[in-house]
Amino acid sequence: MPISTFVGLQTSLRGLLAHQQAIDTTSHNVANANTDGYSRQEAVMDPTEAFQVTTGTGNVGHLGTGVTVEGYRRIRDSFLDLQYRAQAMQVGDQETRSTQLDQVELALSEPGDNGIASQLAQFWNGWADLSNSPDDVAARQALIEQAKNVAASFKTVDTQLTTVKSQATAEYTALTGPGGDVESIANEIAKLNGAIKQFKANGDSPNDLMDRRDNLLDKLSNLAQVSVTDLGNGSIDVAFGDAATPLVSDTTVTWPQTLTAPGGKLGALIDIAKTGGTIDSYRADLDNVVKTLADAVNVLHNPGGTGTNFFNYTAGSEAATLSVAVTTATVRTSTSGAAGANDIALAITGLRGGTPDKLYTGFVTRIGGDLKNAQRGESNANVLLNSIQDRRQSTSGVSMDEEMTNLVRFQRGYQASARTMSTMDQMLDTLINRTGIVGL
Amino acid sequence: MSTRITGSMISRSVLNDLNEVSQRLSRTQQRMSSGKQITRPSDDPYGTSRALSLRTDIAGTQQYQRNVGEATAWQSVTDSALSKITEAVQRARDLAVQGASDSAGQAARNAAASEIDQLIESVKQEANASYGGHYVFSGTATSTAPYAVGGADSYLGDSAAVAREIGPGVSVQVNVVGSSLLGNGQAAADGKLLNVLRDISAHLKSGTVADANTLRTTDLKSLDTNLDAISQARATVGATTNRLESADSRLQEVEESLTKLLSDVEDADMAKTYTDFSMQQSVYQSALRAGSNIVQQSLLDFLR
Repeated sequence: MPISTFVGLQTSLRGLLAHQQAIDTTSHNVANANTDGYSRQEAVMDPTEAFQVTTGTGNVGHLGTGVTVEGYRRIRDSFLDLQYRAQAMQVGDQETRSTQLDQVELALSEPGDNGIASQLAQFWNGWADLSNSPDDVAARQALIEQAKNVAASFKTVDTQLTTVKSQATAEYTALTGPGGDVESIANEIAKLNGAIKQFKANGDSPNDLMDRRDNLLDKLSNLAQVSVTDLGNGSIDVAFGDAATPLVSDTTVTWPQTLTAPGGKLGALIDIAKTGGTIDSYRADLDNVVKTLADAVNVLHNPGGTGTNFFNYTAGSEAATLSVAVTTATVRTSTSGAAGANDIALAITGLRGGTPDKLYTGFVTRIGGDLKNAQRGESNANVLLNSIQDRRQSTSGVSMDEEMTNLVRFQRGYQASARTMSTMDQMLDTLINRTGIVGL
Repeated sequence: MSTRITGSMISRSVLNDLNEVSQRLSRTQQRMSSGKQITRPSDDPYGTSRALSLRTDIAGTQQYQRNVGEATAWQSVTDSALSKITEAVQRARDLAVQGASDSAGQAARNAAASEIDQLIESVKQEANASYGGHYVFSGTATSTAPYAVGGADSYLGDSAAVAREIGPGVSVQVNVVGSSLLGNGQAAADGKLLNVLRDISAHLKSGTVADANTLRTTDLKSLDTNLDAISQARATVGATTNRLESADSRLQEVEESLTKLLSDVEDADMAKTYTDFSMQQSVYQSALRAGSNIVQQSLLDFLR
């Protein structure tokens, strides 16, 4: 088959166009180098269909006709996305725990002179001072004030625990409620599903929309466990935590749903605030400390249970209800009631460093240990998340050096295509304007 | 496949490292300014529990030292009262010996008897010694004077022990019960000090030969027995004072060593903290410098 004289022009033009598009893609990458969740793109160049030409020897040869950009490829490793999301869930979980426990720990103000441990020591000292002058009204008053301080300190810590619990509940409600993060992310994913599906049906690859959707899934995975099912047509199903129905199924959103142990930030919030959860068990520990203290003092202050108790409390909410039940007149320092007798005061002083003090120390150690674990878990999860993020960036991130190299490469390609076109032009000029004019 | 290094990777890792170094720096700074190794339970949960129980122990030890001070003061009040009583009894003994001598006339005996009556009142006065508003010889009835000066000789307190706690589970009796030395007077006929002194006074006043004999024999003997009892009580008080003194110095040592233990657990090692700080600071600075160099450079700087 003979070929047109002008094929070369067309081939050069294709080269110019393809390089133009490659440079456009490079410039898109550079522009989005700092865009969150962006994956670098690549113009996929492919040779166009060759002409079959008969060569001089009668064989058929393939004459190349140039290049075309077949599509724009998004460079991303979906396996790394899975790892990233699993780790983001861990980070969400540990981070939330350490933030919440941090508040609990602050409320303790231990170790220090304002903590309950110091208040208890002062309380025992109050009894010792009273044992030195059992009929001294000032010593009695001092003891009662100190006992009230102890009760108030316990109440403050208990209130702070309740506050942390209700804050966690409020945060959970804000995240999962109407207009909360879960719902708005789910709605956006459903919308993107619809758009991506449509483009895919037209044979298009909507890279930037897919990046946007992946970014939303990353955010969602911080809140709870996320698992994604590819529906094959560009759309996805998203299962969320332990919700019964997928959160997003193609373009349908099912929310709100009940979660019990979804993992991630929501899982941690549930764990902390639920009935019998972390805060409740701290409060039970604290109640036990208060109950032990009050009972130990009362049984010595009121042997046989016929007289006045020193402390009053409501069973089940000991820390919140602890109060001092005696006045300066009714504090008992001795069984005999003699002015100088102090057997009861001495016995109560003897409780110093005993079970109530030990239980309280255990309570503080438990919270400190839990927080330390959460902090360690948080920093571990962050290190892992960072390393996965690095690997992801290594695949999908924009490298300026690479883009600049590509820019030079494509610019040179463009220049060379232009040069072949002008060479072609000169040849045609020779052919058209300078041929057959011999002798003119 | 070799790893591609992208701009955002570099800037993120530089940022992460800077964050980590500055976090460490701020913790060290906190340690330096507070002087504490443990400022919150999560810094060291086990150390915190040690610190809390050590603090309780220290507060207790300080309280025991206060109690020892109280008990010592109580002992010294008791001892000085007993010493005054001893003096009075010795004077009464001299008077009795003089009065019992046959050469003494009835007038001199009467004078001796009335001086002894005065001595009885002063003995009761001494027995009413108090410390901090508490009568030390009344047993636990510390708000009641043990004897009525100018009144009957009967003991008004009780015979219970007054104890002070001077260590964990260690208490010591600080009082001497007045009635064990002074008794309840003539009416009770208990042979105690007041009874004997009243007898001597009566025997001096009556002036019969039989009474003079009783004075010489039984009364002086009883008086010596009581004097011995008082000396013995003073010896007990002295021994208790010694015990309290040694307890005090032991408690001081315990407090010192507990404070040192607490400091080991809770306080920052300043030399180490300063070294850490300057090391971390230089790490931070070099990280900043390296970061500024790396982040700026790219192929862009070399393409013209």
